[in-house]
Amino acid sequence: MNKFIRLIFQFILFSLPISAIAQPVEMADTMRSEGKIYVVVAILLVIFVGLIGYLILLDRKITQIEKKLPEKKN
Amino acid sequence: MKTWLKGVSIVLLGYTIVGGLLMDVPRLNIVNETVRALYFHVPMWFGMVALFLVSTIYSIQYLRKPSFEKDTRAVEYANTGLLLGLLGIFTGMIWANYTWGSPWHGDPKQNGAAISLLVYLAYFVLRGSVENEDQRARLSAVYNIFAFAAMIPLIFIIPRMTSSMHPGSGGNPGFNMYDLDSKMRMVFYPAVIGWILLGVWIATLRIRIRIINEKLLNLENE
Amino acid sequence: MFKTLLIKELTLELRRKSVISGLLLYLFSTAFICYLTFSLRQNQITPLVWSALFWITILFTVINTVAKSFIGEKKGRDIYYYSIAAPELIIISKIIYNSFLTLLLSFTGFVLFILLLKNPIADFTLFALTLALGAIGFASSLTLLSGIAAKANNSHILMAVLSFPIVISVLMITVKVTKNCIDGLDRSVSTNDLLTLLAINCLVTAASYLLFPYIWRS
Repeated sequence: MNKFIRLIFQFILFSLPISAIAQPVEMADTMRSEGKIYVVVAILLVIFVGLIGYLILLDRKITQIEKKLPEKKN
Repeated sequence: MKTWLKGVSIVLLGYTIVGGLLMDVPRLNIVNETVRALYFHVPMWFGMVALFLVSTIYSIQYLRKPSFEKDTRAVEYANTGLLLGLLGIFTGMIWANYTWGSPWHGDPKQNGAAISLLVYLAYFVLRGSVENEDQRARLSAVYNIFAFAAMIPLIFIIPRMTSSMHPGSGGNPGFNMYDLDSKMRMVFYPAVIGWILLGVWIATLRIRIRIINEKLLNLENE
Repeated sequence: MFKTLLIKELTLELRRKSVISGLLLYLFSTAFICYLTFSLRQNQITPLVWSALFWITILFTVINTVAKSFIGEKKGRDIYYYSIAAPELIIISKIIYNSFLTLLLSFTGFVLFILLLKNPIADFTLFALTLALGAIGFASSLTLLSGIAAKANNSHILMAVLSFPIVISVLMITVKVTKNCIDGLDRSVSTNDLLTLLAINCLVTAASYLLFPYIWRS
């Protein structure tokens, strides 16, 4: 079974340009045409922005502590 | 790390999310729409290898001229590399479950990746079991370099010699089949750079925390 | 100098006969356990099962063998070596000596497996070559690690943890070639793998040579 799948996979990859024309492969076209894909993009972007914002805040906090340290020495 | 590099990382990753979901991809059987996972799964491996490489370079530098800072850098780059590697293996399992039918498929690349993670887990075990700080730094630096040298055949040679279910193996380096489509490269390479930069960013944060800790300890001792 | 170091290893080994006989006994017991577990249904040992059992046995025996190369040394002794010999010479002599030992053990293991289980190998010469290269590969990659493990404290567990990911690439190739030997495939199929194995041996030996001075110094 393992080999069989691999064979199919390779065959498809090698005959890619032909098969792409010959028979349309099922993709999430409906989802795209309805514009729902933007919902997914928006969600991912919000998570990404949130994480990055958090990282930036962390970065700043560390910078602040770093600045405090040498003062302590004196 | 320079501030503008952080900006570049953010912009590139934002572009990856938007472009990776919205731009055209080749229509392939079996993988169908999941071919987009390539933009998110594969950069994890590139990021991991890049961070491990940086870690090894710092280990070499440490052996040449020992200093606390270099040891810290080597450890934290390895640590962040491990994080990316774990994420890569989990995303890979999800993807494999969908396309190949089971999360662990005995693919040589998958095994190689798992083993390279084991190497760095062993690296942290080694660090945990040595008390003396100098000794710990030196032994782990030696192991880091040695393990990286031993990993070269594992990651770069063996997967290319055996047949793999990943595209592009069996003689061809990289992912030549996907290379057919230059549109995918437009998103893929920025994604790789973006993730590497993000990994470096996180690693530098951890390094700074460690250095602060060390300074505090010194202050207390004074 | 080089010769004296090798001779010293050998005489030390001969003086501590219990160690080498212990290792042989370890090998024998493992092979015997394999035999016992399958003695109920001898025919169930397919060639692949044979290869798996064989390489696991060899791997663990070899790890135990090489682990003692530094762990077995007395504390004060390495200071003495340090004063009389260059670290590069020491590591090379240890690697060569360990290669002899692992070669001896793996071929003994092979004979035991033929005697107790069965012999699925079709191409003997190729298998012997693989076994030899594999044993040398194990010895050269494990020697440095046993040095590291000896410097760290809880040596034996650490040795296993450290060595497993390193020797796995050697193991993967040898297992693959063993399969070719069992199937009796043409030798040209395995040439590439054997060359890779040789390359790994050279790489690992070179890395040990360069890195050993650093752990020796501490």
